[in-house]
Amino acid sequence: MASVKIVLPGDIIDTRREEEDTAQQEPNVEDEATVIRLGPGLVQSSESVSAVTAGVLHSNSETNRWWVAGNKRRYVAAVGEPVVGVVVARHGEGYRVDIGSAHDALLPQLAFEGATKRNKPNLAVGTVVYGRVVVANSVMDPEIECFNSNTGKSEGYGELSEGFMFKCSLGLARRLIDTKAPVLAALGNGVPFEVAVGVNGRVWVNAESVATTILVANAIRNSEYLDAKQCRQMVKELLEKQ
Amino acid sequence: MTRPDNREASHLRAMHCSLGQLNRADGSAQFTAQNTSVVCGVFGPVEAKVYEEKLDRAVVEVKFRSDIGSSTTKDKWVESAIRSTFEREILAHQHPRTLVQINIQLRESDGSVDSAAINATSLALVDAGIPLKSMISAATCAVLSDDVVVVDPTQEEIDAARSVHTFAFANPVSDSNKQGPLYVDSRGNFTMDEYNHCYDLCVLAAERVLAFMRTAIEGKVTKEAKINTT
Repeated sequence: MASVKIVLPGDIIDTRREEEDTAQQEPNVEDEATVIRLGPGLVQSSESVSAVTAGVLHSNSETNRWWVAGNKRRYVAAVGEPVVGVVVARHGEGYRVDIGSAHDALLPQLAFEGATKRNKPNLAVGTVVYGRVVVANSVMDPEIECFNSNTGKSEGYGELSEGFMFKCSLGLARRLIDTKAPVLAALGNGVPFEVAVGVNGRVWVNAESVATTILVANAIRNSEYLDAKQCRQMVKELLEKQ
Repeated sequence: MTRPDNREASHLRAMHCSLGQLNRADGSAQFTAQNTSVVCGVFGPVEAKVYEEKLDRAVVEVKFRSDIGSSTTKDKWVESAIRSTFEREILAHQHPRTLVQINIQLRESDGSVDSAAINATSLALVDAGIPLKSMISAATCAVLSDDVVVVDPTQEEIDAARSVHTFAFANPVSDSNKQGPLYVDSRGNFTMDEYNHCYDLCVLAAERVLAFMRTAIEGKVTKEAKINTT
């Protein structure tokens, strides 16, 4: 990233970058090339585009998409994202799951692999589950499911038994979900463990012993402001101490 | 004319701020101007209680706590002033049926408290990632008994002043200036000329405060973005 542009709420964004060569032509709003797509952190106000959150301004010149990437700690549900949640209540047809967003998510009892009306999972309050958001909009409560409704397979989602769940920033969670995340790679070379990362800033880890689980959790939490090299060093030091 | 702390009339006190120091809040900021220090913690968007939730937008709740003693009428006034200022700038319709809770704690009080509280709130809301139409920055001016106008007065100067004025502006301040301030609080006896003079000084001061806040946020964002790219 050669030049990083950081924007603050209220900053006007100049999106005319690509249009310079077409400036002589008469402006055509319908033209696909001039349609600008705004992602998170940007809104259109009358004639201009302005930022509403602070972060790094990103743009894709091919698709003409613009968005702002920032870090925060409160999750706002979005469709398709994997989340780790805790069952907080049971209903006739499903569960209420706390996923860290403003409202608890609904998890239907039939949204599990192989669940039928006769044979459905029985989750107690307090159970940690790994699911995918399927309904997310501002006016409805979010809904999650613990299987892929197209294939009927769990694909890794479902109840997370044993293990340990902790919270982190949403930025760190997004970095961890990348399989090449340096801290997870470094840990994986030293100790065997299981991990489930929810982009809602919740991470579940499980290892053979409690001590290892704590080590993995601490290493992940420590990696918030460390780059790849520092991560490997930090993990190395933790493993030596064990 | 010399001020008690040997500043020039148009000089702000040395500012300092830190972001995200409260680890349980969704966003937090401390804004300090020498002996005036304010901490602000923001929670949101969180679930609103059924009786207070609004079906089409988020509810903004502000709590202001003074450094000493229980809350006074003045504190309640600052609360309502901050709520009305930020309610219009927060894009509340993006998160209906939720609550944005702003908790402000005054740590040290030495004049220009309401502008410091507005600046701290602005930073904390940005830290929490709450969508805002614009950053807000505020500044205070005081007209002293000898008609001298001073920026960012200390408590000693406010006590001796004929009138005190606080203004808050949106980002960018120069545009906001044309549309008028987001918040005005003028107390005491003053002429229209004095008011206009204070307004102009506060525009410049708010611009400097905003530039300071921009540097602080840029520092935090680069720290996080640097890791993303390596």
